[in-house]
Amino acid sequence: MNTLASAITEAVEAVRAQFTGHPVEVVPDGTGGVFVTVEDVPVGPSYAPAVTWLGFQISAAYPDADVYPHYVGPLSRTDGQSHGPAVQSTGWRGQPALQISRRSNRRDAIVDSAALKAERIRLWLADQ
Amino acid sequence: MARRPVNPPAEGWSLTIPHRLWTELSAHLFPFGGGAVLLAGHAEGARGPRLLAYDLITATNDTAYIPGEYGHRALAPSFVRDAAVRARDESAAYLAVHAHGGLDRVRFSSVDTASHERGYPALRQITGQTVGGLVFTPHAAAGDLWLADGSRTPLAETVIPGGNLLRLRPCPVTATPAGPGHDRQARLLGDVGQATLNRLRVAVVGLGGVGSILVEELARLGVGTLVLIDDDTVEATNLPRLVAAGKDDIGQLKTDLAARNAQRANPRIRLIPKATRVEHPEALNELALCDWIFLAADSASARHWVNATVQQFLIPGVQVGVKIPVDSAGCVGQIHTATRIMLPGDGCLWCNRLIDSTQLAIDMHPKAERDAARYVPGVPVPSVITLNTLAAAEALNHFVLAATGLHDDDHDHAAVIHRPRTRQRDLQDPRQDANCRWCTPAGRLGRGDSGSVVQTATL
Repeated sequence: MNTLASAITEAVEAVRAQFTGHPVEVVPDGTGGVFVTVEDVPVGPSYAPAVTWLGFQISAAYPDADVYPHYVGPLSRTDGQSHGPAVQSTGWRGQPALQISRRSNRRDAIVDSAALKAERIRLWLADQ
Repeated sequence: MARRPVNPPAEGWSLTIPHRLWTELSAHLFPFGGGAVLLAGHAEGARGPRLLAYDLITATNDTAYIPGEYGHRALAPSFVRDAAVRARDESAAYLAVHAHGGLDRVRFSSVDTASHERGYPALRQITGQTVGGLVFTPHAAAGDLWLADGSRTPLAETVIPGGNLLRLRPCPVTATPAGPGHDRQARLLGDVGQATLNRLRVAVVGLGGVGSILVEELARLGVGTLVLIDDDTVEATNLPRLVAAGKDDIGQLKTDLAARNAQRANPRIRLIPKATRVEHPEALNELALCDWIFLAADSASARHWVNATVQQFLIPGVQVGVKIPVDSAGCVGQIHTATRIMLPGDGCLWCNRLIDSTQLAIDMHPKAERDAARYVPGVPVPSVITLNTLAAAEALNHFVLAATGLHDDDHDHAAVIHRPRTRQRDLQDPRQDANCRWCTPAGRLGRGDSGSVVQTATL
């Protein structure tokens, strides 16, 4: 059994609510936070595949810490172009991934939750 | 103002009051007398349990602080009820406060004691928390605590971490003369000042260029216990900046090097090395038992977790840093060193925009992913021992004068910014966000063991 700060358990519940119907894997990161992976997330017709996983860490310093960066499974652009700024190939938790580096400027720790940021990241990626 | 007694740390139950709260309480109590209730969190301490005051409820004279049935004045029943309900709801200690005449000594009157015996058993039952009475003069404090477990104990000392680190007791302590080794130092600090240093437990977070200087000098000053926190090992490029480091130390833990130097400087020192990052529970638990924290690591995570400990456990500290801007063309910008006093209840590192939440997120990643998580790869920054020494000396002088009550102004806790290229030295007062989640009563200020640094829930 793992014990986590209540802010993190609340954040995880909000992620589950935000992505209702999607499998959500939550794994303790060993230092009081969690790694979260949301499965079957649609990222739009600009990418192949159009559905992938979205991963991120909610650290023990949350909500003071931002949730950054985010990771998705390897994606290719259907227009054949390369990915633009803030998207780069990397690995996450032992698997190939794209890293999405979108910091939250003027972040409010109360308002800018892990769940809302995950959805913003998904929408931003779909718009590229 | 008359010179205050300097008291070394005492064994037993203590109460810590943030400086701003003490200023407000003092204005309410002195010189005309007044009644109030302090709400306090709880934590373990190195010398005994600690009560951590985080909010003050003052009683208005004649409506809430009224003529007493038995003594001169008493808190009105409705005021007591409302304060007790808050204590119960917030799982806080309830401490009723009043003042006596005098300056350096104080004790409860027989009327006070009889009042405690009439009221506190019931109040303890209502709140389910520690309750008690405190009596103050400007330089002394006594307390009668009725603990939640049914026992009763006196308060050993009241600590006020401000520009000076005040310790109030029922009467001043006399100390035995300092040993010959510290004779010259004790001629400034006093025998009680030297005894105070010897009883303090001080942490140094980050044992690099600045931290190694701090450790060397704290040990030579005669600080009794040092907690040494750093998970890093010595590299060849560190050698010019680490005190007493040699080629044989390459690859060794910085905690081992710091411990060796401290032991050589003071063979009687007690050392608690923790070769972990500061956010590791072992390190945080040790930090929470300290009397003072030096923050000499520049990562966002070190700043966040030390800031959290300062505010939640009411432990004063000082952040020490050196900034040397050099652009890609090699042009040197305005070098500055910063020595920022971290007082519980005052504008914290978050309020002063000194922690970057994105950088904090990156710092909290596992080591293997941390570098990859940076969108722009980091590059080594310049570091020079003479600049580190400048910042460390400012921090150490502030500490030693604060611990022995030698600062002129209890209210002065401005940061010191040195700009060596122009030889300027400026003071910066910290600013505070009214609703900060760390340094205000609305946040985790003084919440101790029930705050989030150690609070857990089950997933």
